[in-house]
Amino acid sequence: MTESGERKAWIFAARFWLGIFLVFLYLPIFMLILFSMQKNQFASFPLMGFSTEWYHKLFRDGTLIKALGNSIIVSPAAATVATMISFLAAYAINRFEFRGRNVLTGIFIMPVLIPGLILGVACLGLLSRLHLNGELYSVFLMHVLLTTAPALAIIQLRLSQLPRSHEEAAWDLGATEWQALRRVVIPWALPGIVGGWLLAFTFSFDEFLIAWFVAGFDQTLPVAIFSVLKAVVDPSLNAIGTIVFLISGIVLIGVEIFVLPLVFGRESTSSS
Amino acid sequence: MTVAEHNTTTAMDNAVSVPSAAKVRTPNQSWLKELCLAPAMAWYAVFFFGPLGFFMWFGFWTVEEYTPVADFSLKNYREIFSNLFVGSRYAWGIAQSLWVALPAAIFATTFTYLVVLAIVYGVSRRYQRLALLLMVAPFWSSYLLRLYAWQIILAREGAINSFLTTIGLREWHISLMYTQIATRIGLIHYVTPILIIILYVTVSNIDRALIDVSRNLGATRLQTFRKVILPLSRTGLVISVSFAAIICLGDFLSGSLLGGGGGTSLIGRVPTFPDMIMSEYASSSNLPRTTAMATILVVIMLVVLAISFRFMEPATKGGRR
Repeated sequence: MTESGERKAWIFAARFWLGIFLVFLYLPIFMLILFSMQKNQFASFPLMGFSTEWYHKLFRDGTLIKALGNSIIVSPAAATVATMISFLAAYAINRFEFRGRNVLTGIFIMPVLIPGLILGVACLGLLSRLHLNGELYSVFLMHVLLTTAPALAIIQLRLSQLPRSHEEAAWDLGATEWQALRRVVIPWALPGIVGGWLLAFTFSFDEFLIAWFVAGFDQTLPVAIFSVLKAVVDPSLNAIGTIVFLISGIVLIGVEIFVLPLVFGRESTSSS
Repeated sequence: MTVAEHNTTTAMDNAVSVPSAAKVRTPNQSWLKELCLAPAMAWYAVFFFGPLGFFMWFGFWTVEEYTPVADFSLKNYREIFSNLFVGSRYAWGIAQSLWVALPAAIFATTFTYLVVLAIVYGVSRRYQRLALLLMVAPFWSSYLLRLYAWQIILAREGAINSFLTTIGLREWHISLMYTQIATRIGLIHYVTPILIIILYVTVSNIDRALIDVSRNLGATRLQTFRKVILPLSRTGLVISVSFAAIICLGDFLSGSLLGGGGGTSLIGRVPTFPDMIMSEYASSSNLPRTTAMATILVVIMLVVLAISFRFMEPATKGGRR
């Protein structure tokens, strides 16, 4: 085979593999959305035609919708607090030189590296001693911890690209530290803050194990879905799934706008 | 006051005021440092180190009349170890977990590595970012719902089998549901988007010049891959396998939903160890014993991590973060 022919064959093989893998990744999501809008009681072919009855059933039953409501309260709240905490921490880590700075960063990242099962059992142990478990705010407390790490990583990434001279120039022109923080650092960090919030929201919104352990009867959406899933075949799960994927899709678009330019930013400026 | 005197006083004023101003403005000294770090540190102290510290101790507590009592007893661990091969057969659960998690981690890393190689060397620069985005995007969707969707697909009368019936290929039916193969499919689907990032960073940092040199010196594509690309990816691959293994070892959902609790495998119809922990928690009110089991899981994970670090060459270990 000629050199260029061989090259073409390799490139074809590579793209073929990418195609197969994309099917593998997206097939489940596609199926779920497809069957949420079909008359079929069970998810099997042949398709029986378009219908919205599972969405009606979902809203009639109300359990999953109530859980969605809980999640819609907990996740943004946890993400907001986590973003504030992690912005302040990221600012301090980025600006000041002190011993143990890297260790501290490592510690802040740790909660996402520890499996949810372990953290869930550990949290339940302590919270049940303190009689803080079994309520929605127990989930909130733990989710703030869990989502601080991803938010911190994104905000830190953005702040590390802030030239030190910007803030120093503000001081030299007479700004107090507080003013410099508010007028220079925060506007610069804003894409990172938004991106960090979105990532924190996603982590909290999808988190199952910790919520399962500490939530009690105030179930968040993944916990409620799991209980339904273990009990019956209920096509309204397809409907709630589609709604959740829709929310994730919106968040993902936000991430694309705010986070990816941070990750790829340097590359594109150096190439241009 | 003469002009000269006046000048010296202002000069002195300046001399005094400039260092003091500089002192305030030294970027490294400010009350802001403590103030900014305080909320995060407080939160971590109470809700991270608190639970984790308590976690290690809690496994040694005993239960009297359904309430945990502070203690330093080895009772829980003795019970667990005496049940390793009889009764609850925890050893089988641990074996099942390893048998599910390690192959899943290796397969996931292999598939993802091929995907990353295909993206870096087979897709033009303009579309690399798009390809990467498409591969990572499923990470943003709910893991639980993706497992549910796999249930729909793999079930006995599910999407694949009913589709095969419709087109008249009944004998091709698959029966993967409630086996540990299904568990592994769910796990691979979960970890892939994370591994993509680790491996993309690894592969895209390999110097193209090295590859060009190797090709110009007459090496074939496969030789270049074996002698240049693969050795340079080693650290990333080891990190990726161990990271995936830890996630898979600690995962409960896939084994429960796709494996159906005690999914079949070569080892038999045995649930994974996390599944045992969860049913232990659900069926008994003995939280200290559940905690002791979780501690054993942590020890297993640490052993896996320690072994995987042995596979990293000393020269590259910790070379790049």
